[in-house]
Amino acid sequence: MSSLNFINPFGVRDDPGTVVGDFYTDNFERNARPGTVILNLGPQHPSTHGVLRVLAEMDGEYVVRAEPVLGYLHRMHEKMAEVKTPWQFIPNTGRVDYLHPISWNWAYAGAVEQLAGLTVPPRAEYLRVISCELNRISSHLLWWGAFVMDLGGVTPILYAFEERETINDILQIITGSRLTMSYFRFGGVSSDIDARFIKLTKDFIPYLRERLKMYTGLVTDNVILRRRVEGVGPMSVDLCQRYGATGPILRAAGLARDTRRDIPYGVYPKLEFPIPTGPSDDCFGRYMMRLKEIETSLTIIEQALAQLPSGPYMMEKAPKATFKLPKGETYFAVEGARGQVGVHIVSDGGKSPYRIKLRAPGFSNLSLFAEAAKGTLLADALAILGSLDLVIPEVDR
Amino acid sequence: MTSLDGRHAQWKETGALVVSRHDFKTEGLWLSAVVPPKSILTFAKQLCDDGFTLLDVSTIETKEGFFVTYHFDSFQEPGRLALRVLLDPQKPQVPSLYPIYQGAEWHERESFDFFGVEFVDNPNLVPLLLPDDLQGPPPLRKDPKNLASLSLLGVFGKPEILDPQWADIINPPKEPKADA
Repeated sequence: MSSLNFINPFGVRDDPGTVVGDFYTDNFERNARPGTVILNLGPQHPSTHGVLRVLAEMDGEYVVRAEPVLGYLHRMHEKMAEVKTPWQFIPNTGRVDYLHPISWNWAYAGAVEQLAGLTVPPRAEYLRVISCELNRISSHLLWWGAFVMDLGGVTPILYAFEERETINDILQIITGSRLTMSYFRFGGVSSDIDARFIKLTKDFIPYLRERLKMYTGLVTDNVILRRRVEGVGPMSVDLCQRYGATGPILRAAGLARDTRRDIPYGVYPKLEFPIPTGPSDDCFGRYMMRLKEIETSLTIIEQALAQLPSGPYMMEKAPKATFKLPKGETYFAVEGARGQVGVHIVSDGGKSPYRIKLRAPGFSNLSLFAEAAKGTLLADALAILGSLDLVIPEVDR
Repeated sequence: MTSLDGRHAQWKETGALVVSRHDFKTEGLWLSAVVPPKSILTFAKQLCDDGFTLLDVSTIETKEGFFVTYHFDSFQEPGRLALRVLLDPQKPQVPSLYPIYQGAEWHERESFDFFGVEFVDNPNLVPLLLPDDLQGPPPLRKDPKNLASLSLLGVFGKPEILDPQWADIINPPKEPKADA
């Protein structure tokens, strides 16, 4: 019997030379301590929100080391950008991050406009703000429901979906789609809002404010949730700096960095809104931060609707499908629901751009998970993973 | 914090090859510098000490070689800067920024996946987004006949050339330009 090469099905390595997993497991196991267990989470796992895989080295219930394995949803958007014309690439941007597609629409359209020197008419700028903020709310709502579900509370996501459906109904009027929206065009947006849109949005704002109060009573003040998230997974400003984390994670850590305010674009400078920070850099802080951001977005939409000027929603002589980018380089960033969304375009003046690099905030945010999860309980590591608000198609692009 | 002029002077002092000012309205950058690959860590350390974070690592393949751009954003005040290195087309190698920015690990692995740029001392330089058993050349490499030269891409803004070798790259002599 002793000559049999016994492989423990639970992953305990009796013989360090034995390869039991695939390339990544093998690579991960090489640095493992003796006596620990390698645990593979995903790529199909309810708490990874898509196809993310996490390798964890476990000592009992504690995570010694963790490593996310990416690429299961990689679609090579950057290559597609190089073979398509700028116009043809617009629908791709709606598919990078399916929860906040309009921020990606904006990052790409904004980069092209910046490079080509196109001016967007004022009404279109306001329509962009309104649609982007509505979309941000729907993204945060889904995160809220999914995060609480990760922690074991299944009911709240059903409430969140009710509100999210309303937003989808509203956005469907102007974008024509409910998920992978491609609303922006170079020099404007694809359609104007109508009276129905305005009425639905105006009704929705006070409705959601009431619902947010219910969320507080139902979930935020719930002692079970508090015990699961308070003090779990602290992420300091220093950690965010070293990993390039932006968005709610950074603001929860106490630094008021928001692209809408710091490097303003569109009509954000004309709108008054606070950049909330804190209350703490743990999972609870990030939870509260996103709820506060929903309120901020509601304020922005209210102001934008009040200030909405009349006029065209598309610039005159807007680029046609045969539009070519002038040669040059540009970097344009917007604030997405997960952080700074950046598009780097390098063009040689040809039919399609020479190179496009998409900066996904989720990619940088997830990269700090390995460090943040070190030494935590596995259940807490999952709470940390949930609090990062991951959208895997965006991470993988 | 160092002002743009201060940063400009600091980069010159640290040994940058080219320092460029950019028009933020069209290029989305304030300042960029081409630096020698072997001293990229020194430059990154300066930015890290002044509260900059690494946004991304963006590689372009050109006739001259692999042109890697590191985008930085300040945590203290609006400021988007870029450091660039030009790497040998046959054997692209540059020190990893991992010792300063741990987040660079993934960005570098991405460039390694798609362009085959080797980041020396990256702790885990294995495929990140692509499968480990992918065959063939890195997928974002271009056909040599489609490569553009750096001077054509307009990435230098208003350059101040500190290294004479770069004068030819940024403003190539007339004859080869007629060929292109």
